[in-house]
Amino acid sequence: MRPKNKVLATVLSGFLGLVFPVCECAVVPVVRRLVRKGLPISCAITYLLSAPIINPIVIFSTLNAFKNVDASEGVLGSVGMTVARISLGYVIAVIVGISLLRKRPGDVLHRDIAAAMEKAPPESEGTAAVPGLSFNAKLVQAMRTAKDDFLDTAMYFAIGVAITSVFNTQVNQEMVEKAVAGNDLVAIPALMGLAFVLALCSTSDAFIAAPMAAFSSAAKLAFLVFGPMLDVKLVFMYSSLFRRKFMVGLCLAMFGLVAGLSVPWVKLIGQLFPTF
Amino acid sequence: MVRAVLFLAVAAGVYFLGKSLVGSLAADAQTARFWVSAAWVVATGALAWVGLCHLLQPVIRMIGLNFISVALLIFWGGVLLYFYYSGRVNVYLPDDGLFRPLMLAGGIGMAVLGVFNLLTGKVQAGCCGHDHGHDHGHGGCGHDHGHDHDHHEGCGHDHGHHHHEGCGHDHGHGHGHEHHHHEHAHAHGHGHECCGPDHGHGDEHKHEHVSACHGEDLVHHHHHDQSHDHGHDEGAHEHAHGILASPRWFNQSSAVLMLLAPLALAAAYTPDQYSAQAVLNKNLYNQTYGVGARADQFSLRTPEGKDKVPAKAAAPAPAVADMPPPADDSKKLPGAPGVATAEALAKTPEKAPGAATTQSYGSFTLADLEAQVPRNKNGNFELNVPEIYYTAGDAEVQKAITGQPIETVAQVLPEKVNNENGHRLRVFRLLVQCCAADARPYSVPVDFGKKAPEFKDMTWVRVKGTLTFPKEGDQIVPVIIATDIEETTAPADAMIY
Repeated sequence: MRPKNKVLATVLSGFLGLVFPVCECAVVPVVRRLVRKGLPISCAITYLLSAPIINPIVIFSTLNAFKNVDASEGVLGSVGMTVARISLGYVIAVIVGISLLRKRPGDVLHRDIAAAMEKAPPESEGTAAVPGLSFNAKLVQAMRTAKDDFLDTAMYFAIGVAITSVFNTQVNQEMVEKAVAGNDLVAIPALMGLAFVLALCSTSDAFIAAPMAAFSSAAKLAFLVFGPMLDVKLVFMYSSLFRRKFMVGLCLAMFGLVAGLSVPWVKLIGQLFPTF
Repeated sequence: MVRAVLFLAVAAGVYFLGKSLVGSLAADAQTARFWVSAAWVVATGALAWVGLCHLLQPVIRMIGLNFISVALLIFWGGVLLYFYYSGRVNVYLPDDGLFRPLMLAGGIGMAVLGVFNLLTGKVQAGCCGHDHGHDHGHGGCGHDHGHDHDHHEGCGHDHGHHHHEGCGHDHGHGHGHEHHHHEHAHAHGHGHECCGPDHGHGDEHKHEHVSACHGEDLVHHHHHDQSHDHGHDEGAHEHAHGILASPRWFNQSSAVLMLLAPLALAAAYTPDQYSAQAVLNKNLYNQTYGVGARADQFSLRTPEGKDKVPAKAAAPAPAVADMPPPADDSKKLPGAPGVATAEALAKTPEKAPGAATTQSYGSFTLADLEAQVPRNKNGNFELNVPEIYYTAGDAEVQKAITGQPIETVAQVLPEKVNNENGHRLRVFRLLVQCCAADARPYSVPVDFGKKAPEFKDMTWVRVKGTLTFPKEGDQIVPVIIATDIEETTAPADAMIY
């Protein structure tokens, strides 16, 4: 593809989540398949990062979770926070995607995936390759794949839920808030770390963030944008998809972008939507 | 097997050792207790985990991964459906909105998917079209496969175990394949192509189909050595199997255990309510009275959901006096104690009270209170704890309600704030924003004027008394001066939505 088209494609990939909504667990097997079918790396990663945030369910739940929060100076209300989350998530996903425009699949992907891709060109993937495969056979294969993908995802989900529930009930929230809530310099990385450990689904993490009265909007925004992009269970899943070196770079980049952009973003959105 | 027992025994030992260790620590050595307890839990858990994986591994081999994955799927769907139909879900998810229907749909979907896969297990469904990357052609011997490839997704062959056909040696697989059950025409013991497309698989090694091959019993039941790293590229299995089909036995057993244990244990043992420890950890004592997102819902001034608007400025006297006093006939109300006082107070020019959180919202008299809050058969105003909590933010409501007889039903926990003389207990209700996971306790202190009675933690009680609003710390606190307290049954909705 010519570079110009690829940039456009990457930019558009950020919106794919609206059409193909998926949560952060399920997006990894989906992207794995898409990549093997030939989707460019930049588009795939942009979709990977943005789809868990930019989808109708998340928009709805974020709006709902913050509906009791009154917008004021430096505090985003429900519309403001939703817009901030979507837009910041999109921008970061596209930035990361565009920075990978020149990378070949081999640089980024786990060597086994890349190797398998080379051995079998993408077109031959799937049942379409086998001529004369009946509808029934395709259905059966689809159901088998669904089963495997579900269980794979469910395992990581169970890990995330176990960690979350321990943290939610066994750790004194007051101590956590006292320790970190006051100063944004500490609060933002702290909430990002919390998002990492809690590994909440992007469709409902807004309900956990909204009532945290002691934290600033910027810290909550960081929580809501970082969580769907990187958390305990995603680390496992990414490590089966990407090369180790790339993964480290990706994680650092995401951390830096989210932490650095949260405060200015809240200011920006606060000015655009002062009473929301 | 031996290792399994060994690990589990050590785990049990660590458990009891740690238990006594934690027990021997002083009750108030909080940090020490926390870290020692955490270490104890982690150590016991890790050892038990490894032991259980050892135990699970031959089971997986025997039953076969395909059946296990189908069973897990049906199990998950079944748990969801069980919770839904038994009504246990009522505590976890709100009764309006999409959550409960989604749960039902999810449970049905999982069960259907599982049953479908169970029934079509033997159907051949085309080939993946890609090279799995393991050299199947090994008529060569001496390698340990030990993995269940389950390429049945459509590859048309079971990689896991045909390799040894050409070998005629002891594989020590313990696959339990009962290879003599293969329905494919090739006989065992001679090298054959692994990928003959005439294997109906997707089924497991539970080969139930009659074998046409041979009569010899090729059941290998020996459990071989756990280390099966036969130099297969782990990634080479990457054909959408995920971790369940991992060649590393530990990863595979861990995956099965992770899918089975937490859900099963939770479904079996959860009491469907928060423990005292959880409530204590959720800011029970760190209440910002009168302030919060749901002030309108629980304000005594308005019917649920209506917005209340604070009076302009800090309620200077003229502004309030200008507002027409509603219900001037309040002094005529029969049988309402202290009416005259309340009415007089309502007409008194307001001054903004000390705490910044208490605001003035315009006149509110006893008559208004009577209109909004029903008196119960004891003649007391029946309030819930969130309503009491939010009165701390509304100056006129405080004036109207101070001294009035009120009654509330709540759960009780010891009081740890401003309670040096031991006169107080704390009562709370859990408020849910979206679903049980975000429940937060709203709590207020109850003062008995003398030594507070003892109650078991989390007991449901009915408290009767009056409200007073002292300034403690830097905020107004709604304190119930109790005249009576007794145990009672839990209300229908333990948590308030």
